[in-house]
Amino acid sequence: MIEVRDVSASIGPIRILSGVSLAAARGRFVTVIGANGAGKTTLLRTISNLLTPSSGRVTFDGKDTRGIAPHRLARTGLVHVPQGRQIVPALSVEDNLMLGASNIRGLARGDIREAIEREYARFPVLRARAGIAGGNLSGGEQQMLAISRAVLMKPKALLLDEPSLGLAPQLVALILKALREMADAGVAVILVEQLAMMSLSIADDAYVLRQGRIVLSGPAADLRGNASVVESYLT
Amino acid sequence: MSWANFLQLTVSGLAMGAIYTLTAKGLFIAHLATNRLNFAQGDFLMIAALLTLALRGLGIPVPVVIVAVVLILGFAGWGLERIFIRPLDRLGFRGGGEYSWILTTAGAGLVIQNVAELVWGKSAQYSPPLFSGRNEPVRFLGAGVYPEQLAVIAVSVLVVAAFYWFLFRTRWGKSIYAVAFNPDAAVLLGIDVRRMVVLVFALASMLAGISGVLAGPIVSVFPQMGLVFTVKGLAVAAVGGFNNPAAILFGGVLFGLAESFSNYLNSEFGDLLPLLFVLALLIVRPTGIAGGRKAAAR
Repeated sequence: MIEVRDVSASIGPIRILSGVSLAAARGRFVTVIGANGAGKTTLLRTISNLLTPSSGRVTFDGKDTRGIAPHRLARTGLVHVPQGRQIVPALSVEDNLMLGASNIRGLARGDIREAIEREYARFPVLRARAGIAGGNLSGGEQQMLAISRAVLMKPKALLLDEPSLGLAPQLVALILKALREMADAGVAVILVEQLAMMSLSIADDAYVLRQGRIVLSGPAADLRGNASVVESYLT
Repeated sequence: MSWANFLQLTVSGLAMGAIYTLTAKGLFIAHLATNRLNFAQGDFLMIAALLTLALRGLGIPVPVVIVAVVLILGFAGWGLERIFIRPLDRLGFRGGGEYSWILTTAGAGLVIQNVAELVWGKSAQYSPPLFSGRNEPVRFLGAGVYPEQLAVIAVSVLVVAAFYWFLFRTRWGKSIYAVAFNPDAAVLLGIDVRRMVVLVFALASMLAGISGVLAGPIVSVFPQMGLVFTVKGLAVAAVGGFNNPAAILFGGVLFGLAESFSNYLNSEFGDLLPLLFVLALLIVRPTGIAGGRKAAAR
């Protein structure tokens, strides 16, 4: 579903990614772990075309994404949940949920309503807070909202940038469970995380990013068995 | 002051306040989504007033004129963004830095002013009333007031209501809030941010257009009239902290009333007092009357 081949990217004069390759097929849960500043956020921004790679290519659903505007990619199912959740503070929970879905072509009002009810069932706290401004939610509630908002966009691929940030462990588990369900339903999930062991325990495949390069990759279970090596790359 | 005087001043204050509010709402919406202002907003108002006069002079019926002028102004807003703002953003620092749009939009205002002068001349023109047959006062609650002023108030209320509906009830309005919060995050939700930016400038100019159409019959119309409206629109938007539509509405009405009464008390410095009042307010509360509360207060 998503293939990153030999991608390098820079921000201004500074090179952030050097020859990164990875793949996430339909229904696969892929995690990219790395320390602060390893280039995880830049990798996701490059995949969703917020940042144009200086070399290499990214394909989504078999198509080269070069030159496709990021909002168009989002509308065709490449959904990226950025760091910090980015819930619009002035809009209500329900309006935030609608924001993404209302840009997807071919989604009828009834379908969206139904999907919203499913998300409310998944995260009941969102139903209780449906009319409250997004800015007044707690961090955990905002993250649930961000995930639900992404699900409503009917993703074929879902990119997540450190959803665990600032959340209590049981909330992180709840979020990861939701992501696993997405993958099992056929979505290609790419989860970027600092919490290595937690992500490795739930993902299928894993990549370790260090200073803009992939230094280790393989089945998540294998990397998990090699905890000391993984940890050594995360410092 | 007699009751009749009081009522007349209130009605004309409300009418002018309504026009300042609409002008300021235009500034507000563009600023909300892009952090840019149109320093030619008043000149857009002026051109709308002159166009209305010209088209009516051709014998075109009033409703058609109004729709045409508002649409033309919408296009002008689109052009403003394309020609005077977007290229600067693309150039970044080579374009003169973050605030060069102040010069280019103000420059656009000067160009419009001079073109208007070439076409229509410098002298003031008086527009026939839009909504009432003759511009004669009618009895209203025991005082003589101009029906045109009442109509301006009524139409403005409708426009403000429509504006609120658009901003808080429609998908586009909500998308504007998403863009205002974080353009990158908005893109990831599938929102075409560039189109939204064009939309807000078109809307802002349409509001200037409506202001111009409405202002025509209650003020004198001439090519240099714009700057005053830009300044007053900015003052009103500043009262609302540029981010709170309800506070802008309040500020506009208050400004109009203050101007009307201060002109009655002192015709020489009448226009100055409300502006001094706003200055004093901003010294005490630099973020406007609503303070930092932009999300909660609607």
